[in-house]
Amino acid sequence: MIYVTKLNDEEVVVNCDLIEVIEETPNTIITLTTGKKIIAKESSKEIIEKIIRYKTYLSKRLREGHDNG
Amino acid sequence: MDLATIGGLIAGVFFIVAAILQDKGNLADFGQLASVMITFGGTFSATLISFPLADFINSVKSVTLIFRNKQLNEGEIIRKIIELSNIARKEGLLALEEAAESIDDEFMKKGILLIVDGTDPELVRNILETEIIFVEGRHKYVQGFWNKVGEYGPAWGMIGTLIGLIKMLQNMNDPSTIGPSMSVALLTTLYGSVLANFLALPIANKMKVISEAEILLKEVAIEGLLSIQAGENPRVIEEKLKAFLAPRLRDEISEDDAQEGENNA
Repeated sequence: MIYVTKLNDEEVVVNCDLIEVIEETPNTIITLTTGKKIIAKESSKEIIEKIIRYKTYLSKRLREGHDNG
Repeated sequence: MDLATIGGLIAGVFFIVAAILQDKGNLADFGQLASVMITFGGTFSATLISFPLADFINSVKSVTLIFRNKQLNEGEIIRKIIELSNIARKEGLLALEEAAESIDDEFMKKGILLIVDGTDPELVRNILETEIIFVEGRHKYVQGFWNKVGEYGPAWGMIGTLIGLIKMLQNMNDPSTIGPSMSVALLTTLYGSVLANFLALPIANKMKVISEAEILLKEVAIEGLLSIQAGENPRVIEEKLKAFLAPRLRDEISEDDAQEGENNA
Protein backbone atom coordinates (compact mmCIF):
# COMPACT_ATOMS: atom_id res chain seq x y z
CA MET A 1 0.00 0.00 0.00
CA ILE A 2 1.42 3.38 -0.97
CA TYR A 3 0.37 6.95 -0.42
CA VAL A 4 -0.35 9.02 -3.53
CA THR A 5 -1.56 12.61 -3.79
CA LYS A 6 -4.55 13.33 -6.01
CA LEU A 7 -4.87 16.56 -7.99
CA ASN A 8 -6.90 18.18 -5.20
CA ASP A 9 -4.03 17.47 -2.76
CA GLU A 10 -5.98 14.71 -1.12
CA GLU A 11 -3.84 11.77 -0.04
CA VAL A 12 -5.12 8.30 -0.70
CA VAL A 13 -3.62 4.90 -0.08
CA VAL A 14 -3.41 2.69 -3.12
CA ASN A 15 -3.03 -1.05 -3.10
CA CYS A 16 0.12 -1.25 -5.19
CA ASP A 17 -0.44 -4.94 -5.94
CA LEU A 18 -3.42 -3.93 -8.09
CA ILE A 19 -1.55 -1.48 -10.29
CA GLU A 20 -1.74 -2.49 -13.92
CA VAL A 21 -0.40 0.53 -15.78
CA ILE A 22 1.14 3.85 -14.85
CA GLU A 23 1.01 6.45 -17.61
CA GLU A 24 2.33 9.98 -17.74
CA THR A 25 0.12 12.05 -20.01
CA PRO A 26 1.83 14.30 -18.47
CA ASN A 27 -0.40 13.78 -15.44
CA THR A 28 0.30 10.46 -13.84
CA ILE A 29 -2.61 8.13 -14.34
CA ILE A 30 -2.57 4.91 -12.37
CA THR A 31 -4.86 2.28 -13.82
CA LEU A 32 -5.77 -0.53 -11.47
CA THR A 33 -6.65 -4.04 -12.54
CA THR A 34 -10.20 -3.22 -11.49
CA GLY A 35 -10.36 -0.59 -14.25
CA LYS A 36 -10.37 2.26 -11.78
CA LYS A 37 -8.13 5.17 -12.60
CA ILE A 38 -6.37 7.42 -10.12
CA ILE A 39 -4.77 10.65 -11.21
CA ALA A 40 -1.74 11.41 -9.08
CA LYS A 41 0.58 14.36 -8.65
CA GLU A 42 3.67 12.19 -8.21
CA SER A 43 5.64 11.16 -11.26
CA SER A 44 5.70 7.51 -12.24
CA LYS A 45 9.31 7.30 -11.00
CA GLU A 46 8.31 8.50 -7.56
CA ILE A 47 5.49 6.01 -7.45
CA ILE A 48 7.77 3.13 -8.41
CA GLU A 49 10.20 4.34 -5.74
CA LYS A 50 7.39 4.25 -3.20
CA ILE A 51 6.40 0.74 -4.22
CA ILE A 52 10.00 -0.48 -3.89
CA ARG A 53 10.31 1.15 -0.50
CA TYR A 54 7.04 -0.42 0.62
CA LYS A 55 7.99 -3.89 -0.61
CA THR A 56 11.43 -3.66 1.00
CA TYR A 57 9.81 -2.60 4.26
CA LEU A 58 7.34 -5.44 3.95
CA SER A 59 9.93 -8.14 3.41
CA LYS A 60 12.03 -6.73 6.23
CA ARG A 61 9.07 -6.93 8.57
CA LEU A 62 8.38 -10.50 7.44
CA ARG A 63 11.97 -11.55 8.10
CA GLU A 64 11.91 -9.89 11.52
CA GLY A 65 8.73 -11.75 12.27
CA HIS A 66 10.42 -15.03 11.38
CA ASP A 67 13.43 -14.23 13.55
CA ASN A 68 11.27 -13.38 16.57
CA GLY A 69 8.93 -16.31 16.20
CA MET B 1 -32.75 32.58 -36.50
CA ASP B 2 -34.08 29.21 -37.53
CA LEU B 3 -35.20 29.52 -41.15
CA ALA B 4 -37.27 26.33 -41.03
CA THR B 5 -39.56 27.67 -38.31
CA ILE B 6 -40.04 31.05 -39.96
CA GLY B 7 -40.41 29.58 -43.43
CA GLY B 8 -42.93 27.07 -42.15
CA LEU B 9 -44.99 29.73 -40.40
CA ILE B 10 -45.05 32.02 -43.43
CA ALA B 11 -45.77 29.20 -45.87
CA GLY B 12 -48.51 27.82 -43.61
CA VAL B 13 -50.28 31.17 -43.32
CA PHE B 14 -49.90 31.69 -47.07
CA PHE B 15 -51.44 28.34 -47.94
CA ILE B 16 -54.34 28.75 -45.53
CA VAL B 17 -55.12 32.25 -46.81
CA ALA B 18 -54.66 31.21 -50.44
CA ALA B 19 -56.99 28.24 -49.96
CA ILE B 20 -59.62 30.49 -48.39
CA LEU B 21 -59.40 33.05 -51.19
CA GLN B 22 -59.89 30.38 -53.88
CA ASP B 23 -63.30 30.40 -55.60
CA LYS B 24 -64.35 33.87 -54.46
CA GLY B 25 -63.79 33.11 -50.80
CA ASN B 26 -63.86 36.02 -48.40
CA LEU B 27 -61.22 36.27 -45.73
CA ALA B 28 -63.53 38.32 -43.52
CA ASP B 29 -65.95 35.38 -43.28
CA PHE B 30 -63.23 33.44 -41.53
CA GLY B 31 -62.51 36.04 -38.90
CA GLN B 32 -64.79 35.77 -35.90
CA LEU B 33 -63.72 37.31 -32.64
CA ALA B 34 -66.02 35.08 -30.60
CA SER B 35 -64.56 31.94 -32.20
CA VAL B 36 -61.02 33.09 -31.60
CA MET B 37 -61.89 33.84 -28.00
CA ILE B 38 -63.39 30.47 -27.29
CA THR B 39 -60.68 28.35 -28.95
CA PHE B 40 -57.56 30.22 -27.93
CA GLY B 41 -58.95 31.48 -24.61
CA GLY B 42 -60.47 28.13 -23.78
CA THR B 43 -57.36 26.15 -24.69
CA PHE B 44 -55.05 28.31 -22.64
CA SER B 45 -57.44 28.34 -19.68
CA ALA B 46 -57.48 24.57 -19.80
CA THR B 47 -53.67 24.40 -19.85
CA LEU B 48 -53.62 26.91 -17.01
CA ILE B 49 -55.68 24.43 -15.01
CA SER B 50 -53.32 21.60 -16.04
CA PHE B 51 -50.02 23.25 -15.05
CA PRO B 52 -48.73 25.31 -12.11
CA LEU B 53 -48.53 29.03 -12.93
CA ALA B 54 -44.73 29.27 -12.95
CA ASP B 55 -44.45 26.31 -15.34
CA PHE B 56 -47.20 27.77 -17.52
CA ILE B 57 -45.39 31.09 -17.90
CA ASN B 58 -42.05 29.38 -18.41
CA SER B 59 -43.45 27.05 -21.07
CA VAL B 60 -45.19 29.85 -22.98
CA LYS B 61 -41.98 31.86 -22.94
CA SER B 62 -40.03 28.87 -24.21
CA VAL B 63 -41.69 29.30 -27.58
CA THR B 64 -38.90 31.70 -28.54
CA LEU B 65 -36.51 28.74 -28.50
CA ILE B 66 -37.87 27.36 -31.74
CA PHE B 67 -36.83 30.51 -33.58
CA ARG B 68 -33.29 30.31 -32.33
CA ASN B 69 -30.64 28.41 -34.17
CA LYS B 70 -28.64 26.17 -31.94
CA GLN B 71 -25.45 27.88 -30.92
CA LEU B 72 -22.93 25.09 -30.98
CA ASN B 73 -22.71 22.31 -33.48
CA GLU B 74 -21.12 18.92 -32.98
CA GLY B 75 -18.03 19.79 -35.00
CA GLU B 76 -17.31 22.81 -32.85
CA ILE B 77 -17.64 20.83 -29.63
CA ILE B 78 -15.30 18.14 -30.93
CA ARG B 79 -12.76 20.70 -32.07
CA LYS B 80 -12.93 22.39 -28.67
CA ILE B 81 -12.35 19.08 -26.91
CA ILE B 82 -9.38 18.24 -29.12
CA GLU B 83 -7.95 21.67 -28.36
CA LEU B 84 -8.38 21.01 -24.65
CA SER B 85 -6.85 17.56 -24.91
CA ASN B 86 -3.81 19.06 -26.62
CA ILE B 87 -3.41 21.48 -23.72
CA ALA B 88 -3.80 18.65 -21.22
CA ARG B 89 -1.20 16.56 -23.03
CA LYS B 90 1.31 19.36 -23.12
CA GLU B 91 0.83 21.10 -19.79
CA GLY B 92 -1.14 18.69 -17.66
CA LEU B 93 -4.72 18.68 -16.44
CA LEU B 94 -4.24 21.65 -14.15
CA ALA B 95 -3.60 23.87 -17.17
CA LEU B 96 -7.19 23.25 -18.22
CA GLU B 97 -8.43 25.56 -15.50
CA GLU B 98 -7.18 28.54 -17.44
CA ALA B 99 -8.56 27.19 -20.71
CA ALA B 100 -11.96 26.68 -19.10
CA GLU B 101 -12.37 30.40 -18.62
CA SER B 102 -12.66 30.93 -22.37
CA ILE B 103 -15.46 28.39 -22.73
CA ASP B 104 -19.00 29.74 -22.54
CA ASP B 105 -20.67 26.35 -22.48
CA GLU B 106 -21.65 25.94 -18.82
CA PHE B 107 -21.80 22.18 -19.05
CA MET B 108 -18.28 21.78 -20.44
CA LYS B 109 -16.97 24.31 -17.97
CA LYS B 110 -18.44 22.39 -15.08
CA GLY B 111 -16.91 19.17 -16.37
CA ILE B 112 -13.48 20.72 -16.75
CA LEU B 113 -13.57 22.24 -13.29
CA LEU B 114 -14.52 18.85 -11.84
CA ILE B 115 -11.57 17.27 -13.62
CA VAL B 116 -9.18 19.97 -12.45
CA ASP B 117 -10.42 19.50 -8.90
CA GLY B 118 -9.23 15.92 -9.10
CA THR B 119 -12.65 14.30 -9.01
CA ASP B 120 -12.70 10.60 -9.79
CA PRO B 121 -13.58 9.86 -13.41
CA GLU B 122 -16.55 7.78 -12.33
CA LEU B 123 -17.89 10.60 -10.21
CA VAL B 124 -17.40 13.12 -13.03
CA ARG B 125 -19.43 10.91 -15.32
CA ASN B 126 -22.11 10.48 -12.68
CA ILE B 127 -22.44 14.19 -12.00
CA LEU B 128 -22.60 15.16 -15.67
CA GLU B 129 -24.98 12.36 -16.57
CA THR B 130 -27.31 13.34 -13.76
CA GLU B 131 -27.32 16.84 -15.15
CA ILE B 132 -28.25 15.51 -18.59
CA ILE B 133 -31.11 13.47 -17.14
CA PHE B 134 -32.57 16.52 -15.47
CA VAL B 135 -32.10 18.77 -18.49
CA GLU B 136 -33.89 16.15 -20.54
CA GLY B 137 -36.65 15.99 -17.94
CA ARG B 138 -37.17 19.75 -18.05
CA HIS B 139 -37.25 19.72 -21.84
CA LYS B 140 -39.79 16.89 -21.84
CA TYR B 141 -41.96 18.89 -19.45
CA VAL B 142 -42.10 21.88 -21.80
CA GLN B 143 -42.77 19.59 -24.76
CA GLY B 144 -45.55 18.04 -22.71
CA PHE B 145 -47.04 21.49 -22.23
CA TRP B 146 -47.26 22.13 -25.96
CA ASN B 147 -48.55 18.64 -26.59
CA LYS B 148 -51.32 19.36 -24.10
CA VAL B 149 -52.15 22.61 -25.92
CA GLY B 150 -52.35 20.50 -29.07
CA GLU B 151 -54.76 18.14 -27.35
CA TYR B 152 -57.00 20.83 -25.92
CA GLY B 153 -57.16 22.92 -29.12
CA PRO B 154 -59.43 20.66 -31.18
CA ALA B 155 -61.50 19.83 -28.10
CA TRP B 156 -62.16 23.51 -27.46
CA GLY B 157 -62.94 23.96 -31.14
CA MET B 158 -65.58 21.31 -30.68
CA ILE B 159 -66.95 23.05 -27.59
CA GLY B 160 -67.21 26.30 -29.54
CA THR B 161 -69.04 24.54 -32.33
CA LEU B 162 -71.48 23.05 -29.84
CA ILE B 163 -72.15 26.48 -28.32
CA GLY B 164 -72.73 27.89 -31.80
CA LEU B 165 -75.10 25.06 -32.71
CA ILE B 166 -77.09 25.43 -29.48
CA LYS B 167 -77.48 29.17 -30.10
CA MET B 168 -78.51 28.44 -33.68
CA LEU B 169 -81.09 25.84 -32.69
CA GLN B 170 -82.67 28.28 -30.23
CA ASN B 171 -83.23 30.82 -33.00
CA MET B 172 -84.63 28.62 -35.75
CA ASN B 173 -87.54 30.92 -36.63
CA ASP B 174 -85.85 32.10 -39.78
CA PRO B 175 -84.60 29.10 -41.80
CA SER B 176 -82.47 31.32 -44.01
CA THR B 177 -80.12 32.03 -41.06
CA ILE B 178 -79.33 28.33 -40.51
CA GLY B 179 -76.58 28.18 -43.13
CA PRO B 180 -74.62 31.25 -41.97
CA SER B 181 -74.90 30.44 -38.27
CA MET B 182 -73.87 26.85 -38.93
CA SER B 183 -70.78 28.05 -40.78
CA VAL B 184 -69.89 30.43 -37.97
CA ALA B 185 -70.27 27.58 -35.49
CA LEU B 186 -67.93 25.40 -37.50
CA LEU B 187 -65.27 28.11 -37.50
CA THR B 188 -64.24 27.23 -33.96
CA THR B 189 -63.49 23.65 -35.00
CA LEU B 190 -61.28 25.04 -37.74
CA TYR B 191 -59.49 27.35 -35.31
CA GLY B 192 -59.01 24.52 -32.86
CA SER B 193 -57.48 22.25 -35.50
CA VAL B 194 -55.24 25.01 -36.81
CA LEU B 195 -54.09 25.89 -33.29
CA ALA B 196 -53.22 22.26 -32.64
CA ASN B 197 -51.75 21.17 -35.94
CA PHE B 198 -50.20 24.37 -37.19
CA LEU B 199 -48.86 25.72 -33.89
CA ALA B 200 -48.88 23.58 -30.77
CA LEU B 201 -47.84 20.17 -32.10
CA PRO B 202 -45.17 21.49 -34.50
CA ILE B 203 -43.78 23.65 -31.68
CA ALA B 204 -43.60 20.60 -29.42
CA ASN B 205 -41.88 18.60 -32.12
CA LYS B 206 -39.32 21.30 -32.90
CA MET B 207 -38.52 21.50 -29.22
CA LYS B 208 -38.04 17.74 -29.14
CA VAL B 209 -35.63 17.90 -32.06
CA ILE B 210 -33.66 20.76 -30.50
CA SER B 211 -33.57 18.97 -27.17
CA GLU B 212 -32.27 15.75 -28.71
CA ALA B 213 -29.50 17.63 -30.50
CA GLU B 214 -28.52 19.35 -27.28
CA ILE B 215 -28.44 16.09 -25.34
CA LEU B 216 -26.28 14.49 -28.01
CA LEU B 217 -23.84 17.40 -27.74
CA LYS B 218 -23.68 16.96 -24.00
CA GLU B 219 -23.03 13.24 -24.38
CA VAL B 220 -20.22 13.99 -26.82
CA ALA B 221 -18.84 16.47 -24.29
CA ILE B 222 -18.93 13.92 -21.44
CA GLU B 223 -17.15 11.29 -23.51
CA GLY B 224 -14.55 13.85 -24.59
CA LEU B 225 -13.93 15.21 -21.12
CA LEU B 226 -13.48 11.74 -19.67
CA SER B 227 -11.04 10.87 -22.45
CA ILE B 228 -9.07 14.01 -21.67
CA GLN B 229 -8.98 13.03 -18.02
CA ALA B 230 -7.79 9.55 -18.98
CA GLY B 231 -4.96 11.20 -20.90
CA GLU B 232 -5.88 9.73 -24.24
CA ASN B 233 -4.20 10.83 -27.42
CA PRO B 234 -6.01 13.77 -29.13
CA ARG B 235 -6.19 11.78 -32.39
CA VAL B 236 -7.81 8.86 -30.62
CA ILE B 237 -10.28 11.19 -28.90
CA GLU B 238 -11.22 12.67 -32.25
CA GLU B 239 -11.92 9.26 -33.74
CA LYS B 240 -13.88 8.25 -30.67
CA LEU B 241 -16.08 11.34 -30.73
CA LYS B 242 -16.67 11.12 -34.46
CA ALA B 243 -18.53 7.89 -33.80
CA PHE B 244 -21.34 10.07 -32.44
CA LEU B 245 -21.74 11.91 -35.71
CA ALA B 246 -23.39 11.18 -39.02
CA PRO B 247 -20.85 10.38 -41.78
CA ARG B 248 -21.51 13.72 -43.50
CA LEU B 249 -20.44 15.65 -40.38
CA ARG B 250 -17.41 13.41 -39.87
CA ASP B 251 -16.12 14.34 -43.30
CA GLU B 252 -16.62 18.03 -42.55
CA ILE B 253 -14.43 17.77 -39.47
CA SER B 254 -11.71 15.85 -41.29
CA GLU B 255 -11.70 18.47 -44.05
CA ASP B 256 -11.37 21.25 -41.53
CA ASP B 257 -8.50 19.43 -39.91
CA ALA B 258 -6.78 19.01 -43.25
CA GLN B 259 -7.14 22.71 -43.92
CA GLU B 260 -5.80 23.61 -40.52
CA GLY B 261 -2.88 21.28 -41.12
CA GLU B 262 -2.11 23.00 -44.40
CA ASN B 263 -2.33 26.42 -42.80
CA ASN B 264 0.03 25.38 -40.06
CA ALA B 265 2.47 23.94 -42.56
